[in-house]
Amino acid sequence: MSVNIVSETKREILEKAPPENAVSHIWHKGTNPASDRIIAYVNKHAEAKMRNHALAYRDKKLEVMGLLLGEVRTWQGQEYVLIRDVVTTDLDATSVSVKFDDKGFEKLFAGLDDSGFDYVVVGWYHSHPGYGCFLSETDIKTHGGIFVSAHQVAIVIDPLNFQMEAFLLRDNIGQIHQFKVYWDTWDDPYGGLKKVKK
Amino acid sequence: MSVRVKVRSAESGSTVDMELEGDNTVNEIIESAAGYWGMSAGAYVLRKGKSLLRGGATVAEMGLINDDIVELIPDPEGGCLSAKGGAHPPDGQ
Repeated sequence: MSVNIVSETKREILEKAPPENAVSHIWHKGTNPASDRIIAYVNKHAEAKMRNHALAYRDKKLEVMGLLLGEVRTWQGQEYVLIRDVVTTDLDATSVSVKFDDKGFEKLFAGLDDSGFDYVVVGWYHSHPGYGCFLSETDIKTHGGIFVSAHQVAIVIDPLNFQMEAFLLRDNIGQIHQFKVYWDTWDDPYGGLKKVKK
Repeated sequence: MSVRVKVRSAESGSTVDMELEGDNTVNEIIESAAGYWGMSAGAYVLRKGKSLLRGGATVAEMGLINDDIVELIPDPEGGCLSAKGGAHPPDGQ
């Protein structure tokens, strides 16, 4: 029996300037980036979740993985993604492979609901413990099949070599790009002190 | 009897209104939606609220009714092995 698609409601892309409070990641080596363009701004809490997730399985040398939640924006003709949160669940992982555990989806869905905003999945993250940051043939197949929009990012973390890189897929090749970690003004623990006059 | 449900793409935030019959399966919903958005059907799961909708289950079995919202979620697989063996980037990267 065929399925009939009646209509589509598209989500608009927001035109908004990138966050002002942003720095390069200390693990971002960014060797030979494909361009100077910043493709992603990662909220500091989301970054900590990803990094700590990878570090938690560093000694066992197990890969970790999750989804990047945020929004797609444009500014001055350039598209970028704002990664506001990440979600993950129980994993079926080895030192060289990772996927969501078949029994872990309800936990993943709860994480999506708990994000508390009207998210879109702007990409995925996973780790290569001890092997460096690149998109493998498996990663390229995954990214090319699922994350088909040009803005969708793959963040790869190597918690043994303290490296984190952001990739876009172009012509079936994973290209390293620049990304930054941002924080909201209210989230800066010393932000208020700047306003105190001595 | 047909029902009309909304299928949301978690990746774009867009939704399609889909007209379904009672014997349409989850796999058919995923294939149609993924095909419509130019994505690979095999790498997605469908959820309604916190429940995973299993591939062979039908619209009638799942009790989907008009205006229900289901969401297409990516189900990626990562790894660092090369087809030639070893963990290293493919040629050209």
